[in-house]
Amino acid sequence: MEKKWSSEEDLGKELEALLAKASPPRAPAWFAAKTLARLRQEEVREGGRSWWVGWRWVWAAGAAALVAAWVIWDRPKAGMEISDAEVFAALDALVQQDEENRWWAGL
Amino acid sequence: MVAEVSDEELMGQIRNGDEEAFRILIERHQDRVYGTVARMVGGSGPEVEEIAQDVFLRVWKAAATYRAEAKFTTWLMTVVRNLVFTRTAQRARRKDIDGSDPVDEETGESIMARAPDPAGRTPGEALSFRELERAVEEACAELPENQRLVVHLRQYEGMEFEEIGKITGMSLAAVKSLMFRARETLKKKLSGYLGASK
Repeated sequence: MEKKWSSEEDLGKELEALLAKASPPRAPAWFAAKTLARLRQEEVREGGRSWWVGWRWVWAAGAAALVAAWVIWDRPKAGMEISDAEVFAALDALVQQDEENRWWAGL
Repeated sequence: MVAEVSDEELMGQIRNGDEEAFRILIERHQDRVYGTVARMVGGSGPEVEEIAQDVFLRVWKAAATYRAEAKFTTWLMTVVRNLVFTRTAQRARRKDIDGSDPVDEETGESIMARAPDPAGRTPGEALSFRELERAVEEACAELPENQRLVVHLRQYEGMEFEEIGKITGMSLAAVKSLMFRARETLKKKLSGYLGASK
């Protein structure tokens, strides 16, 4: 694979000859087998991860749906009004309840 | 049989999940990828192997979107370049990785230097060859990343300047300028060996 030509734009014959003596290392004999083994390993890992990621999204979607349902259920109904009489009645009831509690407590 | 199938055809098969096609593609380009990563990162340890594997895993993942707009090797080397530059930037940030060869704790001798010489040279010849090899490696390693890549792709992969421009995302003039600067630096650094190499 080493180059067969040399031009003025290259390293020059002398330098090229020197560099040719120190070829880069070759891949070890087991390289292809090891790379394929790593590919299989990573596919298994990624397969497991994608299953988990899939279920994680199901859980997140479920939780989001529950929160949304609770917010909708809990929000004040549109057009709902409380009259002054109802507010005073509720306050009276609270005061009465408090008095009863104090009486039972012997205060 | 294997040589008849083009890289583009193999990529089409890989797109359909064909592991055998992927194995053929790896075996065809592993030395090119491994060698380039080794030259760019320095050394030939587990880090180089991991990055070279990452390159091929990225090829597998990108097969679905791969379009044969350029030569496959140009595209492959662009993937190598991107991964290597990302890794070296991360390494520069961490600053805690020693890029030198593994060293024997007792003797302080490089373990790689002790490996038997594959070309069957005498110990004396092997030593001077290793010294030269190391000097070239060090001189290349000291080049700025872009210059190192240009020199490697031109010298060892035999690529045209236009192709190198596509890989590095630079103009032809910029690539030639990098080559010129790399030549001047290498000449200075390897001046002691230049006369002896004749």
